[in-house]
Amino acid sequence: MIIVKNLKRYYGTGETAVKALKGVSFEINKGEFVAIMGASGSGKTTLLRILALLDDATDGEYTIRGLQVSSLPEAERSYYRLTQVGYVFQDYALINEMSAAENVYILSMMEGKSRKESYETALEALDKVGLKGKHNRVPDELSGGEKQRVAIARAIAKKPDILFADEPCANLDTNNSKQVLEVFKELNEKYGQTIVMVTHEPWHTEYVDRVITLEDGNLVNDEKKKEVKNNPYVPHF
Amino acid sequence: MINDIRVGGLIAYCSVKRGNKKTLMFIVFVLSLIFMNLVFLPSMIGGMTVLFTGFMQDYPYGDIVIEPSGDNTYINNADNVLQKVRAVEGVRAATKRLDAGASIEHKQKVVGATITGLLPTEEYDISQYPYIISEGDFLGELSRDEIIIGAMIAGTGFGSEIYDNLGEVRPGSLVDVTYSNGVKRTYKVKGIMEGSFELVDLNALVHYKEIEEVYGLEESKATSVVVRIDKQGSEEQVQDKIREAGVNEQIFTWADKSETLIKQAMQSMGAINIMSKFVSLIVGAALVLIIIYINVLNRKKEIGILKAVGITPGSIVLSYAFLSMFYVSLGILAGLTLYFSLMLYFQANPVTFYETMEIRPQIDPMLLIQSIVTMLTLSVIAGTLPAWSVSKESILKAIWGR
Ligand SMILES: Nc1ncnc2c1ncn2[C@@H]1O[C@H](COP(=O)(O)OP(=O)(O)OP(=O)(O)O)[C@@H](O)[C@H]1O
Ligand SMILES: [Mg+2]
Repeated sequence: MIIVKNLKRYYGTGETAVKALKGVSFEINKGEFVAIMGASGSGKTTLLRILALLDDATDGEYTIRGLQVSSLPEAERSYYRLTQVGYVFQDYALINEMSAAENVYILSMMEGKSRKESYETALEALDKVGLKGKHNRVPDELSGGEKQRVAIARAIAKKPDILFADEPCANLDTNNSKQVLEVFKELNEKYGQTIVMVTHEPWHTEYVDRVITLEDGNLVNDEKKKEVKNNPYVPHF
Repeated sequence: MINDIRVGGLIAYCSVKRGNKKTLMFIVFVLSLIFMNLVFLPSMIGGMTVLFTGFMQDYPYGDIVIEPSGDNTYINNADNVLQKVRAVEGVRAATKRLDAGASIEHKQKVVGATITGLLPTEEYDISQYPYIISEGDFLGELSRDEIIIGAMIAGTGFGSEIYDNLGEVRPGSLVDVTYSNGVKRTYKVKGIMEGSFELVDLNALVHYKEIEEVYGLEESKATSVVVRIDKQGSEEQVQDKIREAGVNEQIFTWADKSETLIKQAMQSMGAINIMSKFVSLIVGAALVLIIIYINVLNRKKEIGILKAVGITPGSIVLSYAFLSMFYVSLGILAGLTLYFSLMLYFQANPVTFYETMEIRPQIDPMLLIQSIVTMLTLSVIAGTLPAWSVSKESILKAIWGR
């Protein structure tokens, strides 16, 4: 469902330009749980931001479900981010003045859902990440793992086509990391959520179906860990 | 758009609900002072205006004043005018007066003054002159060698330090008056009048017949005919009726008269007033701008996050518009409370000028509404600008600073 062709991203121009992505191509199928790995500075974050429409590629093609998203105007990209793409930040990126529920709820409001519907959607998403009963807490009252799970709830509440996560466990201890990865795995297995996750830790790959490795702006390895269910229909939750 | 408003409202609501309450209180406090500053001085000036217009009615002009037409110095046959005026419905009383310029001398001290010649018995119904004699007595029908002197020139009243005065003049003192035509008279001071108002306390009063005689006037000349009416507010109708009754001199209401006079007197005040309003508005707008700007800078990352997850820039800007509206509304409410408390205080304890002139601030609803609207508008603009500029920044820059 995602097709990336010869994607390039240069920071700056001319001789001094940093070539963060030198032309990567791959496809991701619906229902896959993909890890993007690579050394520091290899271009993982750069790639993920472009995929999540937070940044523009310098060159190359990017289509989601046949839609050429790389050339959409900003207002439409914003709408696409809102409705089709979930993004989980390394440092949670929650709004500190909002409760867990409100952090999730606000996106449904933005989509035009009623107050009640938004609230129910938020609670449902918080349940899915195992935060039942903690929806009224503000970020300061939650552990790192819980915060990250709120962020995941926010990203999945809208039932996005793809969920992106950039080192979601980088700020978490092993225990909390496991909780978060379990949540991803469950979302993927139970609801068929397509997930693209950047990670450093080799042990994280136990949870995923496929590992794409970047090196110095190039895709150097694409390893399918198990043959995925590229089944035509994955029941979307 | 509806969604933008709902989401903007939610963001603003959360930010107020979970934001720092002390900061909020401080902001509201400062805004309330700014609002106070905006409305307080004009209210004081309003109070002064009311006071001065009261003086205009009580002393020189009555409710309606008739003055000579054209270049004439005098109204000819003022008795005829008086007869017509008194017959007009709604007129309570009327009298004629003769003003003259003169210098008054007492023990080598000389001051210039306007001396008003009036009919003492008629003045009881017309003006406050008979009631403000602080020492001695008011003139009587037969007072011919007697004079009433204003407290400021007598040298006894407040304000004597500012103006030339005659030293200690008391009832019974003798003063020499030289009129503008050179005629000299000696009068015994019958009383000192103290109206706490320059136009009164710097003047002197004699009998109408004195001026008539000094200037050799005949056939009841007058520099003004002063009219009091039955019902306040009907000045203009009565003015028309007097005109219809065949009075061909110039007819003014006290408001016409005061307007020019007060305008002049208030011009410098007005300039200060406008300046002070302008400054408080600028300060207010700058304050809101700074508050919101700091707020926005502190939350630059949040703004980036909101945008990254798909919240529209419109909602973000609106949330700040709501926030500043909220701050300012609270500020205005607090300011109004403060304002009305001060108004109550000053009604009970008026500011005194010249020891006895009491100024009670006036509440002008139009001024209040105008100030509220101005403050709201300015603050929404000031509050929205920084948010607008940050919301235009790229997501990456807002979140990650590059
Ligand atoms: N805004 C930028 N301006 C210039 N160079 C940049 C910018 N962002 C990233 N780079 C460079 O692009 C290259 C790839 O960066 P990227 O952040 O994608 O790496 P990464 O694989 O995510 O690394 P890490 O594992 O440390 O997060 C690096 O050399 C980095 O210095
Ligand atoms: Mg990175």
